[in-house]
Amino acid sequence: MMERYNVSLKVNGELVALNVRAGETLLESLRERLELTGAKEGCGLGACGSCTVLLNGLPTRSCIVMTAELDGAEVQSIEGLADGTDLDPLQERFMEKGAVQCGFCTSGMIMTAKGLLNRNPKADKGDIIRTMSSNLCRCTGYKKIVEAVEAVSSMSEPENK
Amino acid sequence: MENEYTILGERMKRTDSLAKVTGAATFTADIKLPRMLSAKVLRSPHAHARILNIDTGRAEKLPGVKAVVTAADAHGVKWGVFKYTQDHPMLAMDKVRYIGEDVAGVAAVDEETALRALDLITVEYEPLPAVFNPDDAMAEGAPLIHEEYANNINIHVHIDVGDVDAAFNQAHLVREDTFEAAGEAYSTLEPYAVVASYANGFLDLWMPNAGPHVRAKALSNMLKMPLNKVRVRHINVGGHFGARSEVSPGDLVAALLSIKTGRPVKLALTREENAACTRQIHDIKATIKTGVKKDGTITAKDFRVTYDGGAYSSTGPIATSIPYYVYEEAYRFPNVRYNGYRVITNKGIRGMYGAHGRAFLCGNEVQLDMIAQELGMDPMEIRLKNGLKVGEETATKSVIISGGLEAPIRQAAEKARWAKKRIGLPEGEGIGMGCVAIMCGFPMGFRSGSTCYVKINDDGQATIVSGIVDTGMGNESMAVQIASEVLGIPPEDINLVNADTEVTNLDPGAYSQAASFVGGNAVKRACEEAKRQILTLAAAKMDHAMEDLTIKDRTIVSRTDPSKRMPLRWVVREAFFKGEPIAATGAYMPKISFDREWIKNPQGQMAGTYSFGCSIAEVTVDRETGKICIPRFTAAHDCGNPINTMAVEGQIEGSIQQAGVAVLTEENRWSDGWLLNPDLLEYKVPLACDMPEIDTVIVRSNDPEGPFGAKEGGLTTRMNAYSAVACAAHSALGVPLKQLPLTPDRVLKALDKAKGGDA
Repeated sequence: MMERYNVSLKVNGELVALNVRAGETLLESLRERLELTGAKEGCGLGACGSCTVLLNGLPTRSCIVMTAELDGAEVQSIEGLADGTDLDPLQERFMEKGAVQCGFCTSGMIMTAKGLLNRNPKADKGDIIRTMSSNLCRCTGYKKIVEAVEAVSSMSEPENK
Repeated sequence: MENEYTILGERMKRTDSLAKVTGAATFTADIKLPRMLSAKVLRSPHAHARILNIDTGRAEKLPGVKAVVTAADAHGVKWGVFKYTQDHPMLAMDKVRYIGEDVAGVAAVDEETALRALDLITVEYEPLPAVFNPDDAMAEGAPLIHEEYANNINIHVHIDVGDVDAAFNQAHLVREDTFEAAGEAYSTLEPYAVVASYANGFLDLWMPNAGPHVRAKALSNMLKMPLNKVRVRHINVGGHFGARSEVSPGDLVAALLSIKTGRPVKLALTREENAACTRQIHDIKATIKTGVKKDGTITAKDFRVTYDGGAYSSTGPIATSIPYYVYEEAYRFPNVRYNGYRVITNKGIRGMYGAHGRAFLCGNEVQLDMIAQELGMDPMEIRLKNGLKVGEETATKSVIISGGLEAPIRQAAEKARWAKKRIGLPEGEGIGMGCVAIMCGFPMGFRSGSTCYVKINDDGQATIVSGIVDTGMGNESMAVQIASEVLGIPPEDINLVNADTEVTNLDPGAYSQAASFVGGNAVKRACEEAKRQILTLAAAKMDHAMEDLTIKDRTIVSRTDPSKRMPLRWVVREAFFKGEPIAATGAYMPKISFDREWIKNPQGQMAGTYSFGCSIAEVTVDRETGKICIPRFTAAHDCGNPINTMAVEGQIEGSIQQAGVAVLTEENRWSDGWLLNPDLLEYKVPLACDMPEIDTVIVRSNDPEGPFGAKEGGLTTRMNAYSAVACAAHSALGVPLKQLPLTPDRVLKALDKAKGGDA
């Protein structure tokens, strides 16, 4: 049988202890063990970004990271972004700007944007397009996604508007 | 009396978006049911082979395996959209016809066990000679893939209107060109998945689908179960674009496994399985001959188009016809002949696509530019001259009731400053225009119409039950927005129940651009009837003329004396007291010709109405590297009247990506029946950084039949954006590019060929 590992993680602020298979990805742990299905499997090789979560604050493709290697790590998934019913400004702007169509890429898009704005709260349109180009969307043509992220970025610095 | 709209046309937040931004929206692969098993499919490693024997004994004995199914467990019913195209067994019976075809399914306690079990199934094959393109498949002596299709010709659509040969003889100028395009991948971000749960004689299913009723009907036929025991339930769908149109082998496999085990079964395909083993998009070769008068009037068209259909019929007759129809719906062809051949090959099955037919449509538009050039005409002028107008008929006798091609052309040209930019373009820059018109729905027999039920609940809130299907474009929200406008209550007061065969009635589904025009009309009619019931009761209660009453912001109010008002919930409660609760049905059947048949009778009214569109692309081309960039793109789409302006823009923008930018990068690449780029690294879906600056222009033609004047919301761009790019590249290079996609190697080859003087 495959070797198993004990791993402690902080997921969306809560400590969880997992006993995982060697080859188990973070995406599998989130979706199957913790029932956090907001991160999606679109390609399974880190190309599409639908599975993006923040790992120790950085946007990470959870489908190509092994949970066994993450003891002590901090993970934030889309489910941990809102404060109760208080949505994150990114979530608000994605809805308002019409950046959501089928919704399959949306969690990954929002988490990628969150990672960007955490690093660079004043990200401009160029920064946003560059960063969001790491994720695939098949529905929107990206325009409204970029606009939604821009709206949050400028919101954090109203004088730059 | 016509009131100004309260919410119709507003940039309303989509009703489904909250669940999607919080990660709470459930897609099929997210479903977890008690005792659920994991399924995997054993697939053919041969492009064409006879199956001599399948031995599942060892797999069945593996601990953790609960069931194995093959064609022997199915009922021998083959799938086909039409009676004459039923050729796909879904679990291979005597032969396999493409690499990746479904041969057996396994259900086990977990995915790893199911995968191990696949290795324990032994299939004895006798490999047969295979063919991988239509030319080889139609050649004398080619191996026959299905007994019933002579020369491997699956479908032949033949249309002949007027006297084409005479018209060519009298034409001032005749051109003939051949264009080819590789097929694309749908690349829905959600790979295919299905959950089947059989208990007590009932089968419940969840899967990304575009029409639950047609899915349930197909499965009831294949499983030999009564239709009322098969229920397809509502679920979020991660993209469609044509990919979710038909019943899928996975549906049958999961259903059989669940029936055999009595436990829920989930089958989730990998990205690679999704690309290589589910339906994708036709390779197309189009020979286009056009005759014109000296003034640019098109007098004759002759088309010969071959579609590489892969191993089975799929939507064959429809796919073989649609590229032609969306073109004749845009332009006037007094004499036209179309020969469309869909040819069976030993490749994965090819289906319908939102951006279907780019070889044909780009080809026509690029050729039109070549003709305009020879005649010394502006490409815009030749399009305006030949564009259909309201009141005219298409070549196959569909009447245009609203719109016409002129408004989108003029509005796109104005927005893009066409006239100014076209003159004196710098070296290496080009601008091009592409046009098309789209049917809003097409004949689907008694399923062409839609029904909506509405009930007004005791607090004055409404539940609407509609067959409308949302595969990502916002149809659910659209239904709520229409209901909100009619009922005079805010969208948050309206709950929608939809796309569940047990609860909702028939609807054309999300196939044929019918959702807003047909489904929206049914919602509107149901809500209008509920409103009539409410106002009748209110008039009596308020002792006021009914004609002067309306509902606004949850209140019955007099149009002339705003002091006369009554809360909606009072009226609703009164209705309950009387034993006549407010409840209504609305249905809409488009005015189409049901005698029309894709092959036998290709004439008559195709759809209730048509949308029109014009795209303008601006490109730069690097002659050294062959790389094309699209800095700006303008798309004008006549949606009649937008129900949600933001949603229509979103459809247009997505279409620019999926057709306009995709024409630079997207293609399925093959080697002897093997798909070479089944993943999302090697298959190039455009990224945010590939996108042009976009201007969308929403053209209003206020359709007389559409709900609040609405037609479909953005598909013209999906079928003309590639033409605009190809025409712009032609304008930049002065060399026609006849091979799509317009990858750098193809651009350089076309330039070399032109230098050689044989273009």
